[in-house]
Amino acid sequence: MIAHVAFRLSRRAAVNLWRARLPSLVSVLTIGLALFIGTAFVLGLLTARSLLTSWGAQASMTLYLDPALAEGRAQQIAQQLRARGDLEVQYVPPAAALQRLRADLGELGSALEGLTQNPLPPSLEIRPRQPLPGAAARVLAAEMGEIEGVRDVEFGREWLEKLEALGRGLRAFGAGALLAVIGAALLVVANTIRLAVYARRDEIEIMKLVGATDGYVRAPFLMEGALQGLLGATIAVGAVFGAQRWLLPRAAQAFEFAAGVSAPHLLPLHGAAILAGGALVGFFGSWIAVARFLKT
Amino acid sequence: MIQLRKVKKVYPGDPPVLQDVTLKVDKGEFIWLTGPSGAGKSTLLRLLFAAEQPTSGQILIGGRNIGKLGQAAIPYLRRNIGIVFQDFKLLENRTVLENVGYALEVLGASDADIRERARKRLDQVGLAHKSASLPRRLSGGEQQRVAIARALVNEPTILLADEPTGNLDPSLTDSILQLLFNANARGTTVVVATHDRTLLQRWHRRTVGLEHGKLVFDA
Repeated sequence: MIAHVAFRLSRRAAVNLWRARLPSLVSVLTIGLALFIGTAFVLGLLTARSLLTSWGAQASMTLYLDPALAEGRAQQIAQQLRARGDLEVQYVPPAAALQRLRADLGELGSALEGLTQNPLPPSLEIRPRQPLPGAAARVLAAEMGEIEGVRDVEFGREWLEKLEALGRGLRAFGAGALLAVIGAALLVVANTIRLAVYARRDEIEIMKLVGATDGYVRAPFLMEGALQGLLGATIAVGAVFGAQRWLLPRAAQAFEFAAGVSAPHLLPLHGAAILAGGALVGFFGSWIAVARFLKT
Repeated sequence: MIQLRKVKKVYPGDPPVLQDVTLKVDKGEFIWLTGPSGAGKSTLLRLLFAAEQPTSGQILIGGRNIGKLGQAAIPYLRRNIGIVFQDFKLLENRTVLENVGYALEVLGASDADIRERARKRLDQVGLAHKSASLPRRLSGGEQQRVAIARALVNEPTILLADEPTGNLDPSLTDSILQLLFNANARGTTVVVATHDRTLLQRWHRRTVGLEHGKLVFDA
């Protein structure tokens, strides 16, 4: 019995969709557009976040050593750090540091001529071989700071924290935008189905008079909504995949500077999730529309 | 079969539509429910098929207090009650056969079963040859016969008819009422609301009179 009732309800949903094909098409296209914009926006935000992360991860670290430390000992520390294998280490003696500073200051570098002694300490510049997220960079900095002979560790903490805050902000903004898109798609489906429900109010009244349960009345509308959502999501996923094929090869160069970071792109699994999400949005949009009608 | 105990129905801001109506209809009975327009006949019928709930009092159908039925149980109550309206309430985009079969669809009957039982009912109301027609191609009397066939197709124990001949030419009244009497003869309890006193004079049956929402006679 369940099979033929399900078949009958599905058939009715398909017939009803066909009878109201123009509003259904508008609904499908609107859902498709909303989901496409939402997906493209989220991918854009994820790209921005991964760029920020990669910039943060590339931050090098400078270990300022005790000025009284013998150069031999400094080289020894550098050697120990290189032996870890995960760090590139460069020893910068005070004289080289002063020369670099003079070069950086340019014309103002002449101001350094009056110095009677070099005020700059010896230092070690280290750079992780693999990009490090912010938390790991902090742990590494703390570890470096405990090495005997290291006076201070400079790793651009403020810059890193700002990048991380920006990343968190983008994530929150992306989640908000995604919710707004889902909400808009829900409203579109709810309004389309509400019109369909209104147009078929006589039929619903008769169904209820002859003993149809609310579930039986609701089922074809839910199927219509889910189908509209699914078709809309199919359009959105198709458009995103199409845009990826066209856009990503052209954007690849733009991302090369970001330490091998590639733009996040839609995987088949994500596509399937969007299709399921579209169907769910359509389903719940219809539920809202029909629930309101069944109450009245 | 049907019992009303001190039933009252009031819409906020309006005088009571029904007041202290107490009534008992036995199984297999046929009753006329009569009174002028606004007497409360249609409201009483609506209470019987749980389209509305009484403000106070009890309504028992087959011994069950329908005021205590949950929303989910109402469809199952209605499957035992056939309803006929003055305006037929047929689906314009469905054939006569589909309209009659509609009451069986919601019960989950198979397509073959629906066709067979709907045809049988259409045959009983003399419209088997119009199975494939759309309602708008039928006369008012034929449309009402389709509505009666739909109301009876799942063999309900109660048939409620609200002014079933109100929209029809007087020459068609007898044939429509005969269908209701036939259903009653097969054991269905029938309640017919009408304001047409000539029907009561021609067809003597138990008659319950309502005026201003009060039961004024039961004879």
